[in-house]
Amino acid sequence: MAAVVTQDTGRELRRIVRINEEIKSVVATAFKINLMAMNAIFLAKRAGQTALGFGVLSNELRRFAMDLQKQMTALREMTYGSVATVTALVKQARLNRVLERARKESSGLGRSIIDEFMRSRHGQAYARHREQIAALNRRLSQMIADTAQLVELGSVLARSAKIEAAYGGPFSTSLMQVSSDFERTIGEIQRSLESLTKQQD
Amino acid sequence: MKTARVIYEESGHKWIALVRDPNRPEYLIDTNEYMVIDGDDAILLDPGGNEIFPAVFSALSAEFDPRKINKLFASHQDPDVISSLSLWLEFNPQIKCHISWLWTSFVPHFGGNQDTFIPIPDGGADLMVGGQRLQTIPAHYLHSSGNFHVYDPKAKILFSGDVGAALLPPGDESLFVEDFDRHIRHAEGFHRRWMGSERAKRDWCNRVSQLDIQMMCPQHGSIYRGEQVRRFIDWFAQLEVGLVKG
Ligand SMILES: [Fe+2]
Ligand SMILES: [Fe+2]
Repeated sequence: MAAVVTQDTGRELRRIVRINEEIKSVVATAFKINLMAMNAIFLAKRAGQTALGFGVLSNELRRFAMDLQKQMTALREMTYGSVATVTALVKQARLNRVLERARKESSGLGRSIIDEFMRSRHGQAYARHREQIAALNRRLSQMIADTAQLVELGSVLARSAKIEAAYGGPFSTSLMQVSSDFERTIGEIQRSLESLTKQQD
Repeated sequence: MKTARVIYEESGHKWIALVRDPNRPEYLIDTNEYMVIDGDDAILLDPGGNEIFPAVFSALSAEFDPRKINKLFASHQDPDVISSLSLWLEFNPQIKCHISWLWTSFVPHFGGNQDTFIPIPDGGADLMVGGQRLQTIPAHYLHSSGNFHVYDPKAKILFSGDVGAALLPPGDESLFVEDFDRHIRHAEGFHRRWMGSERAKRDWCNRVSQLDIQMMCPQHGSIYRGEQVRRFIDWFAQLEVGLVKG
């Protein structure tokens, strides 16, 4: 059983590390969107009367970028928290390995003490560790779902901006460029979130 | 695995040396652990590193119920001395660790909390094992700046930590020093390099010369007996220490 727990812990760890990496990439993209929205507002101001609708949408996109960043900050804090869980699990796995060796080397009294110890300790530790991982996953799923909803809104805004860009007169090309960038970047975030959702199962 | 060797026994008072682990990987320094038993009580002296815990635990449990070990003594803070602390705490969270006050906020990095450590003041303190009083003998700067040895006036045994240590060539399995002159060659480089202070060395030689010692038990290498103890002290007294080379 000890070997199973250790193996399981290892898999769990690698999974959490993968999730953390994915979150980091979303955080970076969210930062990019904020800069893009600032740029779009600036552009809409220059276009003036011909891009009123685009101006409204870029303000909305900027608000979206700020909400997304806020959401990402929360997600990041949560992943910091998961580092503590991960560290505890690594320690646990290391301890298990030493105990397993001690069990193999011992005989008589020593062996029965370790057997008994591992039975009770592993039962508890395993349950506790399952519990921690489950809680972590629940919170993560909730946050990913919230973020996905927010990003869906961003995606609608980007599409509308693209339509508005068509009415931008002489600025049409650059407005179109900006809104396409939005659409592409938001698409990236959506793919990251999808892959995060897959990691969950 | 290690073997448990009884080196002293007299009416329920016992010294057990846990020595020579043939399975130990070569990158780990070989260590001796000692257990002093008095009746139903026991203390483990320099319990050893994390990696050799399985060997120590299994050898020890052949002689004594390991759950009954409720105190540890660490001569100093080194990893080969006390990094197994967290494992002992797994088996007995109430276990106490006696160590120089200097290290009580450093060693918790290996495990334990504010209740685990009993600081030994610089002048030393007594340790009770069952009905027997053991003395901690100051050995500061030999090599650690907060360092103690343990003297058992009943068994007339001095546990001397890194003092007297010898790095024996592979294959030399002797529990006791057989040929002093040959043995001491394996101790010389170690003492020159690890022991940092001439003055601390002189103080220690004076202090232990006043004790009646039948056996001197180091943390590495073989045990000195009888006349060899005197010879070691004399040898150490004239050895130049604190040298990087030479
Ligand atoms: Fe040392
Ligand atoms: Fe040592």
